[in-house]
Amino acid sequence: MDKKSLNITIPDFFQKLDLSRLSVLLKRSTSKFAQKIKYFIFNFSFIVARFRYYFELWMKMTRNSFMVLLAQKRLFFLFLIGKLLRFILFGVFLIFLVKGSGSLAGYSVNESIFFFLTYNLIDVISQFLYREVYRFRPLVVSGDLDLIMTKPYSTLFRVLLGGVDLIDFVTILPLVVLLIYFGSMLDPTFIELVYFLILTLNGLVIATAFHIAVLSLGIITYETDHVIWIYRDLTSLGRLPVDIYKQPLRAIITYLIPVGLMMSFPVRSLLGLMPFWGVAGSLVFGSLLIILSIKFWNFSVLRYRSAGS
Amino acid sequence: MEKFVKIFKISAQKELAYRSNFIMWRIRNILQIFLIFFLWDSVFSEPQKTIFSYDRPKILTYVFSLLFVRAIVLTSQATEISGQVARGDISSLLLKPVGFFKYWLTRDVSKKIINVCFAFFEGLILYLILKPQIYIQTNPIYLLLFMISLIMAFFIFYFLVMANNSIPFWVPEAAWGVNFILISVLVEFLSGAVFPLNVLPVYFQNLLSYTPFPYLVFFPIQIYLGNFSYIYAIKGIIVSGVWLFLICLLVKILWDKGLRTYQAQGS
Repeated sequence: MDKKSLNITIPDFFQKLDLSRLSVLLKRSTSKFAQKIKYFIFNFSFIVARFRYYFELWMKMTRNSFMVLLAQKRLFFLFLIGKLLRFILFGVFLIFLVKGSGSLAGYSVNESIFFFLTYNLIDVISQFLYREVYRFRPLVVSGDLDLIMTKPYSTLFRVLLGGVDLIDFVTILPLVVLLIYFGSMLDPTFIELVYFLILTLNGLVIATAFHIAVLSLGIITYETDHVIWIYRDLTSLGRLPVDIYKQPLRAIITYLIPVGLMMSFPVRSLLGLMPFWGVAGSLVFGSLLIILSIKFWNFSVLRYRSAGS
Repeated sequence: MEKFVKIFKISAQKELAYRSNFIMWRIRNILQIFLIFFLWDSVFSEPQKTIFSYDRPKILTYVFSLLFVRAIVLTSQATEISGQVARGDISSLLLKPVGFFKYWLTRDVSKKIINVCFAFFEGLILYLILKPQIYIQTNPIYLLLFMISLIMAFFIFYFLVMANNSIPFWVPEAAWGVNFILISVLVEFLSGAVFPLNVLPVYFQNLLSYTPFPYLVFFPIQIYLGNFSYIYAIKGIIVSGVWLFLICLLVKILWDKGLRTYQAQGS
């Protein structure tokens, strides 16, 4: 068919183009792309395999932790009762306080309860996952960390996730039910709910970063016991909306010690009080913190002196 | 007497030997006060507001007094005993020519004095930072009744801890658990150490008045704030005296029976 008959004008550039050269270039770039795809697929399968390996390892360690705790049933029930009592008593106090005073920093009873429940969810999940951090100091002081370092898995994985807490685990489901119950009363839109879920996950990421930082500090200073409790006390400031604190303390516990970001921002987003840039900024902040904490861990591990071993 | 002075000194040195531990413990106390202070500061943001029979100066005084009353009443070294009973470590102390209860009371007093000294400085710093309106009680009768109620609270807590410490004689693995429930949960919340008990409904307050917990923190602070009449304060002191007697009796029975079952496992 004649080109003119099609009434199509082909630019000079294409007419001068060496098609044979183009074909070589195309073949080369295709093979590079194919290589990249292959590399990605290989790495992806590698990542999946590693994830599966660590997940199976975590399940084994979790099973062991559960068996240890269930061997001491009385102790398990004592701690469970204690934790539930503490939760109920503070909740009851909060309800009567907000009812009696009308509101708490402008938040209603249901909203204040939702702040308290969200704090508890993030706190309980991080305690359930990272209970091993509370047992880290003896490993460093005695030099027993050597034994973990020689094992064919990440040391950080083992000291962070190696001993989950069954007591906290059993409280997660009732907390989620309560959150759904009180959350539905606040009548959020779909996007507010999505923001809430994203920021709650971000809160957990920040909690992870804190725990990694505590472990890293433990290697350098041989001190984790009090640091982790100070972390707990600091986060407990997020038990109630950070709006109750005055400036500059509010700014400090929102951004410098990001308790507000962890605990209050998710609820604020559910109440429609968080703009998109606030959500995005929180995610950037959370990502930065986790990267920094891992870098700090790598820095600390190089300074481990294996004292006492 | 001389040996108790020595125990006192050694205990104080031991307490201050682990300085970082001690400082961290005090920082934790301050953080707890921060939460409670700002919570009430927010509730009483309007200066003229009166809720739960408190005005702004009185509620902030309640929060600040917690720093001192907690240091005097709720600080204890004797909480270590439950673990020692479980591990069989009390055997060596039982064989020594020193009264077991007097020994631990001396150690408790030593720890309390150090904590009160630090609480004073912390209170001063917090006062300068937060600049709260504080209610100063000038009535000498209320101050006297406050002192008496504090002494009663001191002994009630000591013997409560001692009663609790006897449980591992029968259930050694519960040593940690029982301390957690008694000190971190029941005493912490029901004594008024986290929030004033007036926040709760009247029926709940009445129910609590039949337990020894309100006489540990809430009752002494109420006397200091002058929220009780003289008669009511004296009645309360008598009731706390009855509680002290009953808990003493309970401790005696529990420890007599416990020591008979004690087998010094692991020691």
